[in-house]
Amino acid sequence: MPKLTIDGKTIEMPKGATILQAAQALGVYIPRYCYHPSLPVSGTCRMCVVEVEKTAKLQIACATEIADGMAVRTDTPAVKKARRDVLEYLLINHPVDCPICDQAGECFLQDYYMDHGLHKSRIAPGDKIRRSKRRAAGKYLTLDNERCILCTRCVRFCDEVTRTGELTVSGRNDASFIDMKEGKGVDNDYSLNIADICPVGAFTSRDFRFKARVWFLKKTGSICTGCAAGCNIEVHHNEGIVHRLMPAPNPETNTWLCDRGRMTYKVLRAGDRLSKARIKKGSMEPEPALRQAAHLIDDAAHRAGPESVAVLGSPYLSLEDNLAIAELASGSIKTGALCLDFSCEQGVKDGILINKDQTPNANGLKLLRARYGGLDQNALIGLINSGRIKLIVAEARALNSLREKLRDLSNIPTVILALAKSDLDFDSDCVLPYASYFETEGHFVNYKGRIQKTAAAVAAPEGVQPLWLVLSKISSYTGAPIKIEDTKAMSAKLSEYALGKSVIPAICKPGSIAAKSTRE
Amino acid sequence: MIEIKKVDNRPLNLLERLYIWEIFKGFLVTSGHFFRNLFNPKGLITVQYPEVKRPLEYAAKRRTRHRLKVRADGSPKCVACFLCATACPANCIHIEAAEYQANPVEKYPAVFDVDLARCVVCGMCVEACPEDAIAMDTEEIPGGALKREEMYLTREKLFRNLPGEPSLKGAANRLAQGGKGIGRG
Repeated sequence: MPKLTIDGKTIEMPKGATILQAAQALGVYIPRYCYHPSLPVSGTCRMCVVEVEKTAKLQIACATEIADGMAVRTDTPAVKKARRDVLEYLLINHPVDCPICDQAGECFLQDYYMDHGLHKSRIAPGDKIRRSKRRAAGKYLTLDNERCILCTRCVRFCDEVTRTGELTVSGRNDASFIDMKEGKGVDNDYSLNIADICPVGAFTSRDFRFKARVWFLKKTGSICTGCAAGCNIEVHHNEGIVHRLMPAPNPETNTWLCDRGRMTYKVLRAGDRLSKARIKKGSMEPEPALRQAAHLIDDAAHRAGPESVAVLGSPYLSLEDNLAIAELASGSIKTGALCLDFSCEQGVKDGILINKDQTPNANGLKLLRARYGGLDQNALIGLINSGRIKLIVAEARALNSLREKLRDLSNIPTVILALAKSDLDFDSDCVLPYASYFETEGHFVNYKGRIQKTAAAVAAPEGVQPLWLVLSKISSYTGAPIKIEDTKAMSAKLSEYALGKSVIPAICKPGSIAAKSTRE
Repeated sequence: MIEIKKVDNRPLNLLERLYIWEIFKGFLVTSGHFFRNLFNPKGLITVQYPEVKRPLEYAAKRRTRHRLKVRADGSPKCVACFLCATACPANCIHIEAAEYQANPVEKYPAVFDVDLARCVVCGMCVEACPEDAIAMDTEEIPGGALKREEMYLTREKLFRNLPGEPSLKGAANRLAQGGKGIGRG
């Protein structure tokens, strides 16, 4: 393997590595715009120039392969001057409209100007070349050509990652600009990654547009619950409001994050979100509504026997919540009509990230099913359709997924746990809210069997509790408590019943991995 | 040049130690002012603030109640960049940004509130503003309200141009001018 020195430090790297990769491994940061670790090298920006001994000119670190005995310096006056000059060149026609730019605060032009530039502009503002300002580029993106530095990260992303090729560089030399190909918008499933990788404010998110300034945002590492992929994410929030989701690259799960996953935070938005219980179409505080739910369960169990109460697990819920559901059925109500069978075909759908299984925790249900058993999905559907079930306790989306196969539900009373009003496409006399996985911790098992944990980034609406706590309280009101009253009891039960003691340490803590951001 | 006054620290004599005469001297001063103001109210030194306000002098003029400057078309110069709210040590500025559909400036503050009850009149918001949009030169002393709500300034209460304005300073001004592009793209 070739051995080289960078700024006096020696490192051995595999053949074919570039100077920039070697420097990264040594902890020497070389500024760059067009280089991105997950995209092919293009070498257009010239920001990463370094001095290599015995070469006539400065070399670009991102595209120069290492050789044995190479001596690289990144801190000589020539390199510093080159960086400064490149930066001045990139900023010649830049509009410097940072006050209205969403990238401000995480902009590589701002950062590098403070580190390497600090020059005065030699172009009067009136002499700068003007280009087109904001225009929509697909469903989720805004394109501002004036801010663009033509690093072509976005073009390479569409060509090499999504392979949809919507973007191109139009025009020649100093008149070139990023453009959408004839009749195409950037409408692939991963378009918002372009806003992340854009080092300047040329591509910004339409969803996040003007919502918050990035320097106010707090970051909490978590897990995306949009599908079975289990992508690691960063939840960006401020003052109890989630503003956006960003990928937290993890070689085990994801580099990017799909647009659908990024929009999963919308469930928290006021209006659609359930923050009060609904009993017989009237709004009620969540706490007293639990008594009503307990009464419904008690009533059905006494009148037609416990076997007449059907309890459904949900692949949309965490291990904790499903465990409480299973405990409620087998330990408290003592019914056999428990269904934990929601598995469907899994696997990466498009060769990038999105999974065929749109539920985040079907594999978690398999773990619980091994312990609690329960009916097959079809057996339960048969039972409900035969009319022997007098009450259904279920999470809204799980019940929705069975709706096609079920007969009319209007005659069967239900106790529904729901996050948002839009999840309810049927009438129910008892709807209880619960805390989403942006507001409470929960374990999920992705399609590879990796157990991961979401984190509580923001607080739940007042009175709204995690689902397992809701069920625990209901069970106490029915007089047969499941005895899981706090997080300590929950995690003890979880390690004992579902995970087994050996699996627990393998849980990855998202965000604790030295996750480099996709902006890199 | 600072004027130095030497304090006479001699011990009190007998008359002064009795205090009777000194108290009487004090009452003479107080009642002197009382009768002078009673018969000649125009000479009053006390200002009946906030009903009556005195013009400010010297440095006191430099930081007074805030105002938001407006462009010629009546739109705010502020583009809701949040730099004033970031710089504010008292956390008294609340902004909510919104997007113009047609105006080329793109961004404006749908809500811009200054809570004068919290404001410490430090002027950092004015220093931070890249748009020359906020100023503290109204020469009104912030506060001095009879109700708490009056201390809360909304966007509309803050809009004000002084004579000689609107000025063309500020980064987003060229967008407001609608300067057409030279280059393509």
